[in-house]
Amino acid sequence: MMNIKELTKGIFKENPVFIIVLGLCPTLGVSTQVSNAIGMSAGVFFVLLFSNIIISALRNFIPDSIHIPAYIVIIASLVTIIELFMHAFAPAVYAALGVYLPLIVVNCIILGRAEAFASSNTVIDSALDAIGMSIGFTLSLTLIALIREVLGAGTITLFPIGSFDGVLEVPWLIDNPFRVVALAPGALLLMGFLKAFFDWKAMRKVD
Amino acid sequence: MKKNIKYALILLSICAISTAALALTNSITAPVIEVQEEENRLAALKAVSMGYEIGVQEDIVGDRSVTFVTDLKDGGQTVGYILGLKGAGYGGEMALVASYKSDGEILRVQLLSHNETPGLGKKAENAGYMAKYEGTGAGSEVPTNKNMLSASDAQAVSGSTVTFAAIGKALEAGSRYVNELGGK
Repeated sequence: MMNIKELTKGIFKENPVFIIVLGLCPTLGVSTQVSNAIGMSAGVFFVLLFSNIIISALRNFIPDSIHIPAYIVIIASLVTIIELFMHAFAPAVYAALGVYLPLIVVNCIILGRAEAFASSNTVIDSALDAIGMSIGFTLSLTLIALIREVLGAGTITLFPIGSFDGVLEVPWLIDNPFRVVALAPGALLLMGFLKAFFDWKAMRKVD
Repeated sequence: MKKNIKYALILLSICAISTAALALTNSITAPVIEVQEEENRLAALKAVSMGYEIGVQEDIVGDRSVTFVTDLKDGGQTVGYILGLKGAGYGGEMALVASYKSDGEILRVQLLSHNETPGLGKKAENAGYMAKYEGTGAGSEVPTNKNMLSASDAQAVSGSTVTFAAIGKALEAGSRYVNELGGK
């Protein structure tokens, strides 16, 4: 039986960024532009899906005492394979993602989910968990990037399609951006506010 | 002891399978990537040539900044050079191609490959970024520092200080190199 709960929990109840607080480096580093956030999320989705499936399939084969090196080898190989394929067959996406692709290796959402979920659950549940967590990650990252880009630069950068160059401009803010929001301190402040907001929401639900 | 050997073998088999998968992927993608990079390089050479005829490429070994040089000819007369340049950016080595007049003035610059941070150093890919360098090198100094730009130009490269200086230094070295060639 499919466990739809495993899919939906990652979106809000166990949101990887705001509730479990995993993968903060990319969340803070990449969230300067909406297009970066979406590209990073796509990479994380592929790697997380395959790593959860493979690690779950091998969960009875990998002994506990060597599971970390085994997982790291599997995750690093997957990232490299995806990087090579993108470089060869989707050079535009590869160029856009640039340095973020290899950084997915050290994204703790991937190792975290392998540890906490895929190592002790069935393949199908693990795949659903990966999809749910990726959706949660995508939404959180896009939310942070949207706030930072609109306030910090007065633009919304998407992907160029046809004659549309991919950049939406926000009136007034484009001339008077709050630069600090786009820089590192703004990322940390915003993360704090959003975390507080999500904690408050979660607490109200318990009551 | 026996357990350790078993664990080692398990880890070995995982590594072996991963390596095999990587080798297979590489054998599929390497030729495609190579063709692409050659195409990119030729396109970049053409883009910086300003319509002049591109001469025979000569690889330079041992220079800190210059990787290759070719002549630019207009009706058999050498009017300038295209240099392949490398610089140390924020995310490692960057490769550039730039065309120069014989007196060392920068005509056009194009970024070939880099690992700069998106949103910051990666801005160097944007149209207009390289215009900050073009026209300098002979009469005026190549900007290797944000402070050498006007306030509005400095704003356009803000956030990419290291990248801007790295490209500037590579281009300056290229300009000196062209001067040493002395229009021969």
